[in-house]
Amino acid sequence: MEKITRSLKVGDEIPILTKTAYMPIDPNGRNVIHTDDYARDFGMRGALIGGSTLLSYVLEMLYNYFGQNWFYHGKINVSFIGGGAINGDIVTAHGVIKAIEKEAGSNRLTLDVYLENQMQEKIVVGEASCLKS
Amino acid sequence: MTQKSSWEALPIGLEMGPLEIVLDSNTVKKRAELVHWETQEQLEKLGFTPPGITIRYHAQMKFAALPDLRASIWAKSEHEFLKPMKVGTKVYIRGKIIEKYVKRDRNYVVADYETVDEEGEVLMRSRETTVYVE
Repeated sequence: MEKITRSLKVGDEIPILTKTAYMPIDPNGRNVIHTDDYARDFGMRGALIGGSTLLSYVLEMLYNYFGQNWFYHGKINVSFIGGGAINGDIVTAHGVIKAIEKEAGSNRLTLDVYLENQMQEKIVVGEASCLKS
Repeated sequence: MTQKSSWEALPIGLEMGPLEIVLDSNTVKKRAELVHWETQEQLEKLGFTPPGITIRYHAQMKFAALPDLRASIWAKSEHEFLKPMKVGTKVYIRGKIIEKYVKRDRNYVVADYETVDEEGEVLMRSRETTVYVE
C-alpha cells in the first residue's frame, strides 16, 4: 500500500496499473457479445472482454492506493466507451485526484479514473472516491 | 397488432435472484488468477476477497431472469463498497430492474443489485446500465 509521504493535491496521479486483458471464451456462455462472430457484426474488433473484468483492473489500482479503506468507503461510477477490449490488449488503469474533502475526520479523495488500451484509447471512464487515511 | 419485443414487455420492478455464492478459497483464487490480481497473497492473509469479485454474477442473474436476452453490454456501472467479502463465507445477491429507456436506437436496462452476507448485512450496492439485445 502506498503511504502518504507528502501532502496530496488536486491533479496528482495515483500509481497506474497495466495488465494484459484476458477473458476465456465460454463456448456455452449465453452472452453472444463474448463471441467473435457476433461482436464483429456489432462493429467490434472481436469477442469483447466482460465489463466486470475491465472494472476489476480499475478496482485493483484503487485497492492498491487506498488499501483496506476501499472495502468500507470505496465508491466508483464508470461508463464503458469506445470499442471495449479484446484478448491480448494491453490496458492501463489511471486515477487523477480531482477533489479532496474532509469527511469523518479523514480526507475523501475523488478521482477521475479511466482505463485505456495500447492505442491510448479510453475504454472505461468515470469517477471513484474513498477515504484516505 | 404487432407482438411486443421482449424488451418492451420487460416489467420495471422485475426481481432477479437471490443468487447464493459460496466464496470458498478455490473460487476466490480462480477469479483472482483470471484477472491477474497481483496482491492476492496479501488479501488471503486478511481473509478478504478482491473487491468486486461478485460483480460478474450480476450478468448471470440477468440472463437467468430474461430468457430472450441474447447480448448484454455494459454501458454504465456504479458500485458502493460497504464491507469486505470474506473468504469461506456465503453471500447473496438480489437484483431488480428499475428503469429502461431507448437512446440512439438502442434499448437500455438499468438494474440495482445488493450483495449481503449471511447475517443480511449489506456489503455492496450496485447500479448497472446495459444495452439489451434480443
